[in-house]
Order: sequence, then structure tokens, then C-alpha cells
Amino acid sequence: MTLVPVTYKGGIFQHDIVVDLIEDLGGYVVQKHVLAQEVVLQCFVPREDIELIRQISRPLFGEVTDSPLVGTEIAVVSMSLEIHHLPHPSCDIAEYVRRLGAKSNMVSLARGPGKRIAGLNDEERDVINEHDIAVYLLGNFETCIEYKMPTLRRGIEVPIVLCGGPDIETLKKIIDPPVDGYVGNVGRFMRRTKEAEELGKLDEIIAEITRVLEKKRDAIAKDPLSVAPARLMGLIKEKIPEILEVTSPTPLTVQMAGLRVKLPYDTFAEKVRKMEVEDGITLGDIAEVLPSRMRDYILVKILPFSETNTVV
Amino acid sequence: MLAVEYFEVECPEPLGAEYYEQITNDVLLDHNLLKVINKLHIWIDPKVPVFIAVATLKPITSVIRVGDCANVNPQEGKMTLVLSDETYLAPMLKIFWDRFGKDKVDQPDRFTVILTGVEATPAEVEEIVIGNPSESLHKDLIYAFRCIAPEGFRLRSEVFTKDKLTFVASENTLAEDIGTLVASLYKKMGEVPP
Repeated sequence: MTLVPVTYKGGIFQHDIVVDLIEDLGGYVVQKHVLAQEVVLQCFVPREDIELIRQISRPLFGEVTDSPLVGTEIAVVSMSLEIHHLPHPSCDIAEYVRRLGAKSNMVSLARGPGKRIAGLNDEERDVINEHDIAVYLLGNFETCIEYKMPTLRRGIEVPIVLCGGPDIETLKKIIDPPVDGYVGNVGRFMRRTKEAEELGKLDEIIAEITRVLEKKRDAIAKDPLSVAPARLMGLIKEKIPEILEVTSPTPLTVQMAGLRVKLPYDTFAEKVRKMEVEDGITLGDIAEVLPSRMRDYILVKILPFSETNTVV
Repeated sequence: MLAVEYFEVECPEPLGAEYYEQITNDVLLDHNLLKVINKLHIWIDPKVPVFIAVATLKPITSVIRVGDCANVNPQEGKMTLVLSDETYLAPMLKIFWDRFGKDKVDQPDRFTVILTGVEATPAEVEEIVIGNPSESLHKDLIYAFRCIAPEGFRLRSEVFTKDKLTFVASENTLAEDIGTLVASLYKKMGEVPP
């Protein structure tokens, strides 16, 4: 059974039928948004059952679309929080990846701008490394990008997609060693992306992110995880009811190989570690439970099969 | 740029110049400053790095009067001002308070001001000066150029004269002979440096 990421959009009336159906089929609802009369579900469902969900949700005017970014957490790295970069293009891009199901966080650097003065501190580096992928939004000049990129990528272990003003060939030429993805002709601009050409650029960014993430997915598939992150999410919800009282939009953020649990580390880490997953196997046996650099959250990194010898 | 007589962005990287042309246009349009700029030349060298903007300004002679943003309707013993634009509402009220006294000025809602028993004719009230856009012009222009210049260029030198503006920014200490470069940019525009 292969689970594929999809988005379900439909009316609020009887939407629990769809939620129950997805769970009965062995799928997982990763995020649920209720917006006035509309419900948006981001979920993993078995590939062969998508048609069935379509059929059952038809009388409810539900719509099922592919969204390749569901279940990923993306860091949109903006050089600063000044008017120069916000709201365009940083917010435009962060918002666009969110529409396709990703959970995007904007990481803004304390000393990102400029050429010689640009830098990355340890907290920023660690926060970026907690994500599945980092999208770097740089400026318009190749001289500056070439000069500051080695500093900005120091210690970053996650794949990087680089967006910059120069065209893609130039970017490929000046970045050494190469990063995982490039999108050219998207530098700093001071207008909203609403024309067809600009939206096309955003689609190009999404395509590049998807391509890089597919590569990462393939790598994970070669050495599968001991437990699926989406399944772990359901279990934590069931066994640690305190998570239901957390008010942030995604109390449990699903990543490709882990989970961010938005509960204080000191109080709940032991409880999370000792949580039984199945047949006496605890979460501590198949995953690392670490303190996150983001507030005082818990970061769960699921170990691959090769390290634990168990798949639950 | 429609209203600007001369506009040029010069940069060793042609693509970078193109982007900055767009950014300059967007920012000046957003801040409503295109109408005050006559000629503008921008020089960016990311290798140094330095950002220079030289411009000549159009004179702003007009002042804003009560009549420009409100209709004055005389009634028996009072005057009702119906506002069409509330940009200068705050300075207008302050001027009224100083001149007529707070007890004679009443503002029942956002777009209405009532003057009761004031010693002025409606025509006189209409002529009261409530704002001078050229006062805040330099502040607005500096803010706009800070938005246009690449971020991180925090060492700045701004020189204003009555009709000329020079804005130089860099992340390093500015070179001593930067004046020569600025002068040559003025020359390119066909202007005499200030």
C-alpha cells in the first residue's frame, strides 16, 4: 500500500464521513483547517483508494487534488525582516508552498543582508537543520551571492534550493560546491506576485522543491523509517491528550522523517519517549527525542530500519 | 517611468540594473514620489559595494488649504466642514483649536467638523493653510531611497539642496573621493553638482 499526499477541499457539512473514510482506508489526516463553511484536509491516502474518496465525497461537493508537499516542513530563509524582503518576495513564496500542503516556516537571519557583513549564527543554523529543506531567497547581484553563499550555507545539512536574481546558468556557475536546486530570475522585488509571469516563477520554485524532495523521499525509501511520521502523529494524539490543548495551528508538525511536537521538552520528553507504539516497543526505541531549537518544543527524529531492525 | 524626464540605472551587471530599475519604479510609485523627481541617475557597483543615487527635484510650491480637502457649509451661527480627504485632518484640527479654541470645534464623526460661533467667514476658513508637503519631502525621499538601496548598506551620506539630492550608501566606509564619482554622475544627467 503506497500512501500519496493529497488535499481534500469540501463543505463542512458531513465532512466527518470523509475523515472516517480516510482513517478506515488506512490513511492519515495530517492537517485540518476549517475556514468558515469550508474544510481543507491535508492527508495521506492509499493510491488505489483516491477514486473511492472522490466517489463518496461527490455528493458533498468535495474535491481531491494532488499536493506533493503534504507532510513536509520547509524553511524559507529570508535575509532579514526589513521592508526590502517582506512581504515580497519572502511571504509570497512561503504562502505559495503552504497552498500545496507544506508547513512553511520563515527563518529570517539576524545578519543576513549585505555582502561582507552577511553571517549565519548557530541558532539559525540549527533551526534550518530541523527542516526537510531550506529555500534560500537571495538578492539580485551575482557578485554578492557568490561572496556570501559560502558563509550562509556553513553547517547546513538539509538540501538547499537557491533562488536569486541572476539566471539559472550563472547561479550554477558561481555556487561551489553545488546546492541541490536552483531557481533563477527570482531576486528581490518590491511588488506583489499576481501576474501570470510572476506566478509562473512561483510554480517553478514549487517544481524545484518537489524535485529535490522526491530525491530525498527516494533516499528514505531505500532504508525505510521504523514508523511512518503520520502514523506516529495519530498515536501521540491518542496517548498524550495534552497535545489537544495546544493552541498553535499545527500542534504536531509532520516532517518527512520526523515530527515536531509542540509541547515543552522538560515536562513531556520522558512521556513521549516512554509512549508505547506497538507490542511493547516504545517511541524511545525507534526514534530520537531531542529538544528543538525552536522555542522549547520536542523534535522526534525517526530512526531508519537499518538502525532499529523493527518496522511497526 | 512616465513623469520623470531622465532615469537611468547603471551597474556592471546588466541583469542587476534591470531589476533595480523595476524596484526603483515600484518604490517611488508606492510612495507617490514620481511627481517630485525630475531626473534620476542610480549607480550600483556590487564589487565595492556602493549605491549612489543622484536626482534633481521639481519645485513644490503648492500648500494645502482647508478648501482643498473639505467643503465648508455655512449655517446659522455655525459652519459644517465635510471632509473629502482626511490626510491633513489632524494638523487641521490642531490649527482650529489654536485659532478658535477647543470649545468651538466639534468633530461628531470621521468626516465632519463643526465650527460654532467662530469669528471668520467661510471664505477665510477655506483659505487657512493646514499642510506643506515640501516639509516632509526630504524625509520621504530618504526613506524611499533606503528601501531602494540594497539592504545592509548602512553607512549613508545624504546631501540635500533646494533642488538636488545625493544619496550614497555602502556597507564599508565611504571612499574619500566619492565626491568625484557623484560629480561625474551629475554630469551624465547634464546637471551641475551641488
